[in-house]
Amino acid sequence: MWVKQILLAIVGLSGGVVVSAGLFALIVEIGVISDFADRTHTADHILLYEDCTALGGILGNLIFLFKWPIPFQTVALPLFGLLSGVFVGCWAMGLAEILNVFPIFIRRIKIVRYTTAFVISIAVGRGAGALLYFAQGW
Amino acid sequence: MAANKETLYIKGDRNVEVTNLDVKLGDIVSMECSNKDIIPKVKALKLLKISPQGEHRYVVSVLKIIACIHEQYPGIDVQNMGETDIIITYEEQKTKGKAFHILKTAVVSVLVFVGAAFSIMTFNNDVDVPDVFSQVYRFATGTKSDGFTVLEVSYSIGITLGILTFFNHFGKKRFTVDPTPLEVQMRTYENEIQTALIETASRKGEEFDVGKTDPSGNRRS
Repeated sequence: MWVKQILLAIVGLSGGVVVSAGLFALIVEIGVISDFADRTHTADHILLYEDCTALGGILGNLIFLFKWPIPFQTVALPLFGLLSGVFVGCWAMGLAEILNVFPIFIRRIKIVRYTTAFVISIAVGRGAGALLYFAQGW
Repeated sequence: MAANKETLYIKGDRNVEVTNLDVKLGDIVSMECSNKDIIPKVKALKLLKISPQGEHRYVVSVLKIIACIHEQYPGIDVQNMGETDIIITYEEQKTKGKAFHILKTAVVSVLVFVGAAFSIMTFNNDVDVPDVFSQVYRFATGTKSDGFTVLEVSYSIGITLGILTFFNHFGKKRFTVDPTPLEVQMRTYENEIQTALIETASRKGEEFDVGKTDPSGNRRS
């Protein structure tokens, strides 16, 4: 019996290591965190941001798997919603940036002016889409 | 001046921040010359004067710097060992206060913490990790998983180990001397921004190059 347990432990351990390496490599490579650090001119605290990312990953996983209760729910829930929204918004745009969506479109359709309008449309469209998705319970 | 047949080596970084409105050559590039008397004189040469309002950014061609030296010391042979285009940013020394900086850092810290937690949860949810675990558990032991087995525990330990190994440090303690992935990414990002700034300036003809007397700076809000 304990052989199987050890085997399972090895499976779980290796799975965790590989998954976390892959996921966090993606987060770093998409450049969300370096974006935040650059925009706020706080690149000197980059090690702190890494610590927070690491802690977030570790605790988030524990909360998800073991259904840990979250304290201060009235404050924590809206905060979690807002901040994860900001994070995912930047993530999506960071992904679009890496895939060169904008340069390709701007070159193809030959837009040189009013690119701000497109940025605003994308932002509003994403927000409206998310709202519709949740409101309809899809 | 006729005896000035020395070679002056200059080396500049791609991105320089100045706090003084009168930008001198010594603020921008480091210099080396076998004739030590020349260096302080050249360092004191004035390259450009920034108009006082707001923050400004200039892209200066190294040719302009060499021209500036040649104007005063025509006989010097100048060798550039550094960048060919230099971004000069003037920052007003009006510090917005340490409290504001700490506040920004705190907000970003919480933001990336929640973001990372959210990412791992969405990943686990996406690929249905709990379901896979109960299937593996059932396959290995033949009994039904209660959702809290050795698999979940060891997976959590694995996540922790993987993240810490990936980021290569926790707190002040570094595991190896290599820079961390975020440090590398940060430099890559800054490099891309600097390249974009220089190329935009030269495409728009805003670069402060030889033959220009008035630098058209790029004002930032």
